[in-house]
Amino acid sequence: MRRELSDKALHSEFRLTVEKMSGQNLSDCYQCGKCSGGCPVLPDVKHSPNQLIRMVQFGLADDVLSSESLWCCTACGTCNGRCPMGVDIVRIMDTLRSLAEDVYKPHGALEVWTFYQSFLDCVRQFGRLNEIGLMGGYNINSGRLWTNMIKAPWFILKNKLTVSPHTIKRIDRLRRVFERIEQIEESK
Amino acid sequence: MKYAYYPGCSLLGSGAEYAVSGEAVLDAVGVELEEIDDWVCCGATAAHATSHLLSLALPAITCAAAEKQGLDVLTCCAACYSRLRQVSADLQEDPDLRARVNEIIEEDFQATPRVLHITEVLRRDVGVEAIRERVTKPLTGLKVACYYGCLIARMPEELRIDDAEYPMLMDDLMSAIGAEPVDWPYKTECCGAALTLARQKTVHRLCSEILKIAKQNEADVLVVACPLCQANLDMYQTEAEKLAGERLSIPVLYFTQLMALAMGLDSDKLCLEKLIVDPMPLLAKKGFVVGEAYL
Repeated sequence: MRRELSDKALHSEFRLTVEKMSGQNLSDCYQCGKCSGGCPVLPDVKHSPNQLIRMVQFGLADDVLSSESLWCCTACGTCNGRCPMGVDIVRIMDTLRSLAEDVYKPHGALEVWTFYQSFLDCVRQFGRLNEIGLMGGYNINSGRLWTNMIKAPWFILKNKLTVSPHTIKRIDRLRRVFERIEQIEESK
Repeated sequence: MKYAYYPGCSLLGSGAEYAVSGEAVLDAVGVELEEIDDWVCCGATAAHATSHLLSLALPAITCAAAEKQGLDVLTCCAACYSRLRQVSADLQEDPDLRARVNEIIEEDFQATPRVLHITEVLRRDVGVEAIRERVTKPLTGLKVACYYGCLIARMPEELRIDDAEYPMLMDDLMSAIGAEPVDWPYKTECCGAALTLARQKTVHRLCSEILKIAKQNEADVLVVACPLCQANLDMYQTEAEKLAGERLSIPVLYFTQLMALAMGLDSDKLCLEKLIVDPMPLLAKKGFVVGEAYL
């Protein structure tokens, strides 16, 4: 893939947005590739972490934000631990995911996106995560109804999951917190 | 020694055996716990992968409650620990951000409590000597691969409690109870974590590699300090065996279960029956549990 690099591309608004939101200076990355060398999901992705950062450096917003690779990240932090320049790559990935969420909702990553949403819906409703609720919510919302059903007998036999959700006392306050954050993020 | 205790959501569900054994071990070595009043979920990866503000607000609510109790925070779950510790450091450092979060969560949180993981409390505050004294049945001859996963050791440098690539906290604890920690290279490799439902192939592959390497290094069991690592590594062994092309069948225990066993605590504090890969035949063979039926 050959692209013309202009001054405009190198100082794109997209790059500035990512830098501002993540608090990271993208010029710190000199593409040594240590982040990708240790990345556990490298076999599953099209774009490695250092490639994604390179694409941001070049202002390739569409290519980055539509990349399914963003959603393969487990946020394990191996990249952060090994970056010789101390770049918080996980924070950059978080930033890219939240930008991708607005633009490419949820391009090529329905399952991961649905999992996070089901998780947070449950927290919003009860204040604590209920694992049965999460699994059920995930299977229904993602349309993958049989995910982990083969494991269900084990969960039941081993009494691994509590069925009743734990609701916190100050759930009203927590719902206000969720609403406030939604308002702030929507107004951005 | 008294701490504000944050169990976290997993320890109320799939990680119940971690909660029971961890609380029993802490009690046995004289650590007192006071549960944080009305704690909320830390948001884990779901929050920080999607909303920065939410990833700050949820842990801040819990830490603010601990601050009111006037105690430092102790948690067993690696994910909860990493979120709470990171957020309290971020909010301590940045008064403007703290003010913004306080406004959202309706609190006056000053980010004063320290956030500690159970491994560092046992290793550093309690110490190996005190643990050794408490051991009644040393687990001599049990080869243990200590698996730390991503979140305990790999914090930003200024918050790190152990070496990021080759941590020793759990190894030291296992030595203290007479077990033999193996030297192996996959201590901090990722198990796939929160992708457990959404990208199962990735999780199966990663778990398979970890279990395979543990076996190559002659580990009898894996010990973990994270409920998600435990669930993934224990639950997906059938899939992992298919990928590895060999029989694995390695019990994956919480390190606190082995500590409780070595301290001779009641079997209802061990919850060994909750594990999917049954550790009883192995533990009976080594003479750590009584049970002719397993031999």
